[in-house]
Amino acid sequence: MLFSSIPFLFYFLPIVILLYFAVPKKLKNLVLLLSSLFFYGWGEPRFLVFMIVSILQGYIFGLLIEKHQGTKRSKVFLTASVVFSLALLGYCKYADFFIENFNAVTGLSVPLLGIALPIGISFYTFQILSYAVDIYRGTVKAQRSLINLGAYIAMFPQLIAGPIVRYEDIANQLENRTHSLEKISLGIRRFVLGLSKKILVANILGELVATFKASDDKSILFYWVYAFAYLFHVYFDFSGYSDMAIGLGKIFGFDFMENFNYPFISKSITEFWRRWHISLGTWFRDYLYIPLGGNRVSTPRHIFNILVVWMATGFWHGAAWTFILWGLMFAILLIVEKFFLAKALKKLPVLNHIYVMFFVILSFVLFDAPSVKDAFINISSLFGAGSLALVSGEALYYLKSYVLILLIGAVGSTPLCTFLVNKAKETKAGSLLVNIAEPVVILTLLAVCTAFLIDGSFNPFLYFRF
Amino acid sequence: MSKKLKNIILIVLSTVFIFGFFIWGLIAPDLEISTSERRPLEKFPKLSISTIMSGEFMTDFESYTLDHFPLRDKFRTLKSVTAFYVFGQKDNNDIFIAEGHASKLDYPLNKDSVNHATDRFQYVYDTYLKDNAGDIYLSVIPDKNYFLAEKNKYPSVDYKAMISQVRENMPYAQYIDITDKLEISDYYTTDSHWKQEEILPVAQHLAENMGVSLNAEYTQTKALTPFYGVYAGQSALPLKPDTITYLENEHTKSLQVYDFETDSYIPVYDTQKLQSNDPYEMYLGGPKSLLVIENPKAETDKELVIFRDSFASSLTPLISEGYSKITLVDIRYLAPEMLKNFITVEGQDVLFLYSTSVMNNSVTIK
Repeated sequence: MLFSSIPFLFYFLPIVILLYFAVPKKLKNLVLLLSSLFFYGWGEPRFLVFMIVSILQGYIFGLLIEKHQGTKRSKVFLTASVVFSLALLGYCKYADFFIENFNAVTGLSVPLLGIALPIGISFYTFQILSYAVDIYRGTVKAQRSLINLGAYIAMFPQLIAGPIVRYEDIANQLENRTHSLEKISLGIRRFVLGLSKKILVANILGELVATFKASDDKSILFYWVYAFAYLFHVYFDFSGYSDMAIGLGKIFGFDFMENFNYPFISKSITEFWRRWHISLGTWFRDYLYIPLGGNRVSTPRHIFNILVVWMATGFWHGAAWTFILWGLMFAILLIVEKFFLAKALKKLPVLNHIYVMFFVILSFVLFDAPSVKDAFINISSLFGAGSLALVSGEALYYLKSYVLILLIGAVGSTPLCTFLVNKAKETKAGSLLVNIAEPVVILTLLAVCTAFLIDGSFNPFLYFRF
Repeated sequence: MSKKLKNIILIVLSTVFIFGFFIWGLIAPDLEISTSERRPLEKFPKLSISTIMSGEFMTDFESYTLDHFPLRDKFRTLKSVTAFYVFGQKDNNDIFIAEGHASKLDYPLNKDSVNHATDRFQYVYDTYLKDNAGDIYLSVIPDKNYFLAEKNKYPSVDYKAMISQVRENMPYAQYIDITDKLEISDYYTTDSHWKQEEILPVAQHLAENMGVSLNAEYTQTKALTPFYGVYAGQSALPLKPDTITYLENEHTKSLQVYDFETDSYIPVYDTQKLQSNDPYEMYLGGPKSLLVIENPKAETDKELVIFRDSFASSLTPLISEGYSKITLVDIRYLAPEMLKNFITVEGQDVLFLYSTSVMNNSVTIK
C-alpha cells in the first residue's frame, strides 16, 4: 500500500489510528504488527511469507546469539542469520543479475528466474542484519517478545522505503514510548509535508521525466531540464517518503532518525553523503566500512575499503551495472576529495557548490539510465553529443510549463523556508502568525494532495524497488 | 495563539478531514457514471481468495475509491486550478486553455497512425470502390489545435506534413481543402467539434467541389440546455458552457435516417440527447456505424457515400439537399470487411471525411 493513496489515507490510516489509541498500552504493538502485515500484504500478499519468515529467523537467531554470547556458537548463529538474510535478498533481488552476467561471460543460456522483487526487502533485511550484529556485539539485548520484534521489523511507517531504523535506536521505545498532543501534531505536520513533497513535486516532475523519455524532439536544453527534473524528482520522492515515515512514527510515539538534511547545500561530495540517505550511509559505515578497517589501515587498503563500500552501496540500490558504476563514481570522488581536494574545496565558496551539484546531477542521470550504454548517451547528450539542437520546441514548452515546480524544488531542497519560519518565530507577532498559519497551510496541503490523488494516476514510490 | 492551542487545532482539523471523508465515503451511495468525464465509474471489486492473492482486488479497490471519493468533481477542479494557476502549468492532463478554448495536446505527427488509417481506406478502395464508385473525394478536417497550438506556442502536429502524407497515400481521391473555410470561432469552446451553425461555408465548398450546388436557407434553433463539451469534463475547470444550435429547413425536416444498428429510423436531430452525457450526439444520433439518409425532396438522384468520423454528424444534414441518398459509414465501429453485407457501391460518389485528430490517433479504425 502506498502512503500517497486514497486507500491508505482515508481507509487504512483512520482505522489503524482508531484501533491503536483505543487499545491498552500492552496491545499497541500487536495492533502495529497486525496492521503492518496487512499494509505489506495489501500490495503483495504472497510476499508476506518472506516477511514472516524473516521476522521469525531474526527472532530465533537473535535469542540464540544472545544465549551463547561469548562463545563460538554465538558467531555461528550470527553467521547463519546473516547468510539467511543475504541469501533471501540475493535470491529475490540479484539472482537474475548474476545469471545474466554468467550467460554473457560463458555464452550459455541459463534461463532467468524472473523473480518479482518483494517491496521493501532491502530495507527490512538490513534492519534484521543490524539487529543480529548488534546483539552479537552486545550493544543491544535480544527482544524477548516476538510481537515487539515483529512490530519493529514490519512497522508500516518505515517498512517500504526506510529510513533504515536500527533496533538499538528504538528498542526502548518499543516498550516505553509516550504519546502527546505535541508529538501527534508534529507527526501530522511532518507527514503532510512529506505527502506534499511526494505528490506536489516528485510526482509532477516524474511526469516531466516521462515526457522527456517519450519525446522525439530532444535537445541539449531538454536533456538538462530532464537532469534537473529527475534529480528533484528523486530527492522529493525519497525525502518525502522519509518525512511521512518520521511523521507517522511520531503519531505512534516513535522517534525515527532523520534520513535527509538538505543534501544539495553540500560543499563536497563527502558532505553530500552525510546529508543524503543518512540511515543507509551510516549503516554501511557501521556494518561494512568499519569492520573492513575503515581508515585505520594503510592507504591502499583504505582506498580498497572505500571502493568496496561504495560498490556495495550502489549494488544495494539495484541489480544492474549502472548502480554499481553509480556507487563507484561516488567512491572515486570521495577518494579524490579525501586525498587531494578536501582543503581546496573549503576555499572555493561558490565553486564547491557548483562542483557538488554538477557531479550529483551526472550521477543521477547514470542512476536513471536503463543500461550503461544509455547512461553514456544521456550524459554525453548533456554536452551536445550526437548533433543535438541546443533548443527544441518541446523543451521550451515543458520548461515553461514546469519552471515553477522546478523552482519550488530548488528552493524547497534548501533550508530557506525553515530559516524564514524560525526567523518569524523570533518575534511575538511572527510567532502568532506562524501558529495561525500552520494549521491552515497543513490542511490546505492535505486537501490539495487529496485532489491530486483523486485526479492523478498511479505513481509508486521510487525506492520501492530497493 | 499558544503552541498547545495550535497543536489542538491542527489535530482536530486533520482528524475531521481524514475521518470525515472516511465516514462520508462509507455511507455515501455509489454513483453509476461520471457525467463530467463521460464514463462509467468502477464498481466495488469482487472479493475472493483468488482476487486477493493476485492483487486484483487491491488494484480495483484503489480505482473504486478514486472514482467514488466524496466531492470528487470538486477535488478534480481543485487539482486543475492548482496546476494551472498556482503551479503555472501550461496544461493539465494534456488539456490546455488558449483564446478562451479548451483543447487537448495532440502531437507529434504519428506517421504510423496516418498510414494505418490510409491503409484501411486503401482496403475499402480496393474492395468496394475501385471499379464501382463514381468520383472519389478526400477532405481532412483540421482539429482545434490547427488554429490554436502553434499560434499559442503549444506543441503541435505538423499539419501540412500530415495532409501531404494522406494525399500521397490516397492518389485515387481528389483532395478538397477546407482549412481556409474554418477558424477557431467555428468550434465549441469546451468541445472538440465544430459548430453546425458555423460550417455552412464548409458544406458549400465541399458540395461545390463535388459538383453539387446548395441553395437552401436554414433556420437556427438554439438548445436551452447548456453544452459542456468533452474538454470541460476532462479539464475539470469551471468553464462557461457552449450552446448547441441546429439548422433546419424543408430538406432536413423530410430526411429519413435509417440506423442499421437498431434497424430503425432515427431523427436527424435528437433533442432528447441534449440531456445525455454528450449532447453533441443529438446530431444523427452520435456514434453510429452505418446510417442511410434518404431525401425525398431531393431534385437529383445523386448519391454519396461518406466514410467519416463524428464531425460528419453535424455536417451531413447541410449537404443532404444535394443528394437523394447519403450513406454514412464509420469504420471505427464497423470493420470494412463487413461492409459488403450492408451496402453496394454502384456509381455513387464517395467522400473520405476525417479529422486530423482521428488520423493521428487511428488505432480505433478497424
